[in-house]
Amino acid sequence: MIAPPHYLVFSFTLYMIGIYCLVTKRNMIRLLLGIEILINAANFNFISLASSIPGLIDPLALSIVTVSIGLAASVSAVAVIIIVYAYRHYGTLDVRMLKRLKG
Amino acid sequence: MFSPTIDVLLIFALTTPLIGWLVERIRKVQLCGVYASIGLMISLWYIYELFGKVSSDGAQTFTSFFSSQLRIDLLGIFMATVFVLIGISASVYSLRYMERDTGIPLFYSLLLLMISGMVGTVFSGDFFTFFVFWEMMCISSYTLVAFRKQRWEPIEAAFKYLIMSSAGSATLLFGMSILYGICGTLNFQGLHIALSNVGSSVWLYVSAIFILIGLGVKSAIVPLHTWLPDAHSAAPSSISAMLSGVVVETGIYAICRVGFTVLSGIQSQWISVIAILSVLTMLVGNLTPLLQTDLKRLLAYSSIGHIGYMLAGIATGTALGLTGTLMHIFNHALMKGTAFLCAGVILYRLETRELKEMSGVGRRMPVTAITFIISLLALTGLPPLNGFVSEVTIVLATIEANMAWLGVAVIINSIISAAYYIRVIRTILQPVTQKKIEEVKEGPPIMLAVLCILSAMIIIFGIWPDALINFAKNAASVLLGG
Repeated sequence: MIAPPHYLVFSFTLYMIGIYCLVTKRNMIRLLLGIEILINAANFNFISLASSIPGLIDPLALSIVTVSIGLAASVSAVAVIIIVYAYRHYGTLDVRMLKRLKG
Repeated sequence: MFSPTIDVLLIFALTTPLIGWLVERIRKVQLCGVYASIGLMISLWYIYELFGKVSSDGAQTFTSFFSSQLRIDLLGIFMATVFVLIGISASVYSLRYMERDTGIPLFYSLLLLMISGMVGTVFSGDFFTFFVFWEMMCISSYTLVAFRKQRWEPIEAAFKYLIMSSAGSATLLFGMSILYGICGTLNFQGLHIALSNVGSSVWLYVSAIFILIGLGVKSAIVPLHTWLPDAHSAAPSSISAMLSGVVVETGIYAICRVGFTVLSGIQSQWISVIAILSVLTMLVGNLTPLLQTDLKRLLAYSSIGHIGYMLAGIATGTALGLTGTLMHIFNHALMKGTAFLCAGVILYRLETRELKEMSGVGRRMPVTAITFIISLLALTGLPPLNGFVSEVTIVLATIEANMAWLGVAVIINSIISAAYYIRVIRTILQPVTQKKIEEVKEGPPIMLAVLCILSAMIIIFGIWPDALINFAKNAASVLLGG
């Protein structure tokens, strides 16, 4: 069995990858994927911590993860709609073009 | 299913598109706005009934079929009253304001969903329910910001808002998962008991950092505030009033609830962080509006300043400071709601947000001008109006808690804020010179009725604040006692 610290290291790494993606990427779809990676890091953490007591898996964490996957799906649906409209207005998916709002 | 208030809001949210489809046949789309407003009023009545029950029997617990848990105490009732009150005014105001747009039934449906998300957030008794309702509020507010999709500005603002806010939500979820790992439960009361047995560890600090960052994005604490001015100025005015008046305050509520129940073991540490951030928030929120030429953007920046005052109340950590914060949440919702709705009337008639192009508009729109001036003076903190009462309570609380430097910062910032509010008042009262302004008429009567009622409430709660003070004091004592 892999010890819990390994799982924690993995989920923190996943979180950092998500933040790195949000900071450096310029494509709108990639930013959305960064958000999904962040949510999945949290979901993974819930799953790994649910089985921290040997022989018992807590159903609370699994139900949270199920609901959280649904919420993440609806966030990405709204995001994709906004990205489609942004593409129609600007003709590009580059976020550097989206800086007409200033001040 | 959940408590009666949320049930009513959800049922009306789901049936509004159906009613909208029916009334579109007879070409009276505005009727679904009336339907949504009736739903909000019914839910306000249920909140009043719950208030009776809670004040006699203590906190009510609802455990539903979905094993989500609601725990309704006086603090929840206090916040829900604010949300539904501002929701009713925004919904009645939108009857005329949104008449030139398409998709009105969906607008009201989303508005009701956003309000039910906020009410659910303040009624929830565990982190799981809290998060589900929180996301419901967030998702519907992204869609409402981007509602006028044919323009570029709302789309750009909504995308920025969505990326920042959902990264914040994911961070909150990550913090929750660590907290779950420490305690094995997510119930607020259970976490309080479990953490007082476990004591503070490194993991508790890590999860506190993640949770405060997640909540800080939504409540626009300064390093995380950049989405706010864009989203609040690009949204339709009734939604700006909701976003600035209540959605941001949901974040402040969450900081209070999580901070004083779950993280009470490390209170002195997180409170000192909040104290420093509050001064930064106030300074940024009051210095940037001095440079703005866009009316709604100016008002949006000034709400960051008011968030700073509320954080100063939290940073004292005493009952008096929390009373001040809760009163300022109520008062700020009234004042900023009125100010944004007045800006909306000017926008509706003039179709511009530039301050230069509206010089002298107050002479052609007297009722709007008077209500606007009342709300701006209240935001400055002028004595007979309600903003003064809550700001004085916060300043007194900082002196009582030996943090007088924070009180001095609040006073200096309200002096700075007077500079830009008075600039707006001067602009709208100048003599009329442009031809476009001379032809402007007063706004539609239904919008003016909403403005008059809200500004009357500003004056009433300024002169007789006793009932509000008592309510806020009881809500604050619930927070510190449990």
